[in-house]
Amino acid sequence: MPKTGLHRLALALLASCSVTAVSVSAHAQSKVVVTLAYGSEYVFDTNDFAKKWYDNVKAAFDKKYPEAEVKLVPIPGGYTDIINKLSLLYRSRSTAPDVAQLPTPALGQFQSSGWLLPLDDELATASWWTEFPSAIQSEGRFDGKVYAVSTGENDSQLYYNKAMFKQAGLPEDWHPKTWDDILTAARAIKAKVPGVVPLWLNVGTSSGDNGLLQGTGNLLNGSSDPTIQDASGKWVVDSKGLREVLTFVKTMYNEDLGDSLSDLFSPSAVTVPLTLFQKGKLAIAVGSNYYGGNWTKTICSPCWAEAPQTIGVVAIPTVSGQAPGIATTLGGWDLAVAATTKHKDYAWKLLDVMEEEQSQIDAANWAGFVPAAQSYTKSPAFVDFAPPYNAVSAEVLPYGKLTPAKAEYEVWSHALQQATGNLAQHKDMTVDKAISDMKGYVANQLGSDQVATR
Amino acid sequence: MSQARKRVDGIGLLLLAPAGVLLAVLFLLPVAYAFYLGLTNASLIGVHAQHYWFTGGANLRRLWQDRTFWHSLWLTAVFLFGSSILGVTVIGMALALLMQHASIFWQRLAGAVAILAWMLPPVTAAMVWYAFSTTGGTLSLLTGGHTDPLDSHPMLIVILANVWATAGFSMMVLGAGLRGISSEVREAARMENASRIQTFVFVTLPLMRRTLVTNLLLVTLIILANYALTYIMTAGGPNDATNILPIYAYQQGFTFSNLGYGALVGDVLVLIATAFAYLYVRALRQD
Repeated sequence: MPKTGLHRLALALLASCSVTAVSVSAHAQSKVVVTLAYGSEYVFDTNDFAKKWYDNVKAAFDKKYPEAEVKLVPIPGGYTDIINKLSLLYRSRSTAPDVAQLPTPALGQFQSSGWLLPLDDELATASWWTEFPSAIQSEGRFDGKVYAVSTGENDSQLYYNKAMFKQAGLPEDWHPKTWDDILTAARAIKAKVPGVVPLWLNVGTSSGDNGLLQGTGNLLNGSSDPTIQDASGKWVVDSKGLREVLTFVKTMYNEDLGDSLSDLFSPSAVTVPLTLFQKGKLAIAVGSNYYGGNWTKTICSPCWAEAPQTIGVVAIPTVSGQAPGIATTLGGWDLAVAATTKHKDYAWKLLDVMEEEQSQIDAANWAGFVPAAQSYTKSPAFVDFAPPYNAVSAEVLPYGKLTPAKAEYEVWSHALQQATGNLAQHKDMTVDKAISDMKGYVANQLGSDQVATR
Repeated sequence: MSQARKRVDGIGLLLLAPAGVLLAVLFLLPVAYAFYLGLTNASLIGVHAQHYWFTGGANLRRLWQDRTFWHSLWLTAVFLFGSSILGVTVIGMALALLMQHASIFWQRLAGAVAILAWMLPPVTAAMVWYAFSTTGGTLSLLTGGHTDPLDSHPMLIVILANVWATAGFSMMVLGAGLRGISSEVREAARMENASRIQTFVFVTLPLMRRTLVTNLLLVTLIILANYALTYIMTAGGPNDATNILPIYAYQQGFTFSNLGYGALVGDVLVLIATAFAYLYVRALRQD
């Protein structure tokens, strides 16, 4: 009895193997397949828009190059899930995606793994490449070669409720010049407009790197000393700039000018201001450029038709108004080609299709990006999508600074996130203690010879 | 006589072989590989993603000096003690005792609710407890309205959540143990004028010794493995207050990209679990 059973099982296995083999080989002979890996839930404003954009890209490519086709590899989950999944896909030749969408802060690590292909030869032929500001071109440049190109950027601005400002005796056309101006406005709101959160600033570790990029990272870039990693490669854990940022956080939360801890430490903290503004519960926010688009009817996350009349937007100032007067972080998403790709020419063609004007403007509008190419940012299709917000996001983009593209940056980032979270949670904690905790943490994880004081 | 024994051994080994192979391939080999990886400089991305090598004692030295690791070890001890010893054993015992004397209807209802809590996927349980313990949630309203129990007492809330999720299992095991004690023994104690408490402490508990130990060890292993509940609620925070070993291993491997070092932290966890499992097997064998 067992013998015949085994026999049958073996035959069945063999049959299914041969059928699959035949179908696979038949499929492979027909078209060149270019795989494209991307975040399907996290990057775009809604999953439907992500699907729409990638389906459009696939349709455009398949139509232009009938001898090839795109195989979409969606990656669900959040920011870290995308990085982890891509890291695992790249480890094996058969799964390495020909083209992949990578987050800007992780580019250096992907490149140093040896997984990405230099694109300088092909870029020389691309007209859109020449329109990228040099800071954005440098995003993907390592050891003199370009390994990844931007497919959209994020930066930060100050958003404020004009009606609440009027009620508090503040100007409706607000132009803060220093960080003190921001605190003064928040204090006025607290005094004259009860029942609302005066100022939103991301703190704590729940949003990871993104929290820093959309929150205190902007302040650090506008401080007296924005250095994160000094010339010798050491990580700065005590500097005038860091102390200015932490003092701002401590002052703000000690005077109860910020939101509750449960909102700040929630996993979806970065999107809290969108809803708070819409419900009329927030006066000022240090926010990201995608807010305006989210409120439009097209994206509707949440829908707020009255947003442009109610919420003003202005650039974040530097700490004491020093040049250049505007502060913002810079980071977004980039496209790269796998070093082990078997279809270098088609991978580049796909990348080129994704960087065309219509694709880039659709991506900007549906994912809340600012397009990298200067002429795209001036196109009415982009500017008029979410007036007046998109115009300001395009204006502050050139002032953005990139974060160091090293794996150790994650440790430094986690330490700073913890410092801001602690200062917000424990009102009796001093800035000195927060700094010394940050120094202790980074020294413990990376080695005491890797930290620097300025 | 000896020849017959040999034949039995041969067939026995053959029949055990598939299970043995599965165990080796799916468990022993991966764990051995994890121990090897723990001593390399492998990383998820970066220069050592493709080219990594054995670094000998470097990771071990790092572990010895890693303050976050020792803090994490301490947190894990507190977490396990609170959840399994205090929480699940005490609450499981209380539930089992109450079930003993309740009517059939309440027995069935309580049993069903406790087991439902145990069967819930960690994501669901985490969301329920997150909603319960954050500002504006039921616990917050019960303690004043503007409190944030989750962020002010994260370890306590996380322990409570784990106890809630595992008490049903404990109740079943201890309930079965209680039913195994014959009522004659209890009657004998009553005839000696022993109070209820005296009966419980001096008669019931000693007779339950084996069941209690089994339950304790099993529950410890279950809770150690179910780090998802804690991770979803707090992700190890705020400020590493709930950064138990499994979460720290994940952080090292997947947030800081140190796969090798993260594997070493995970190996420590394997050793702790092995110690508990050994105690469990010994406890079973003693009778």
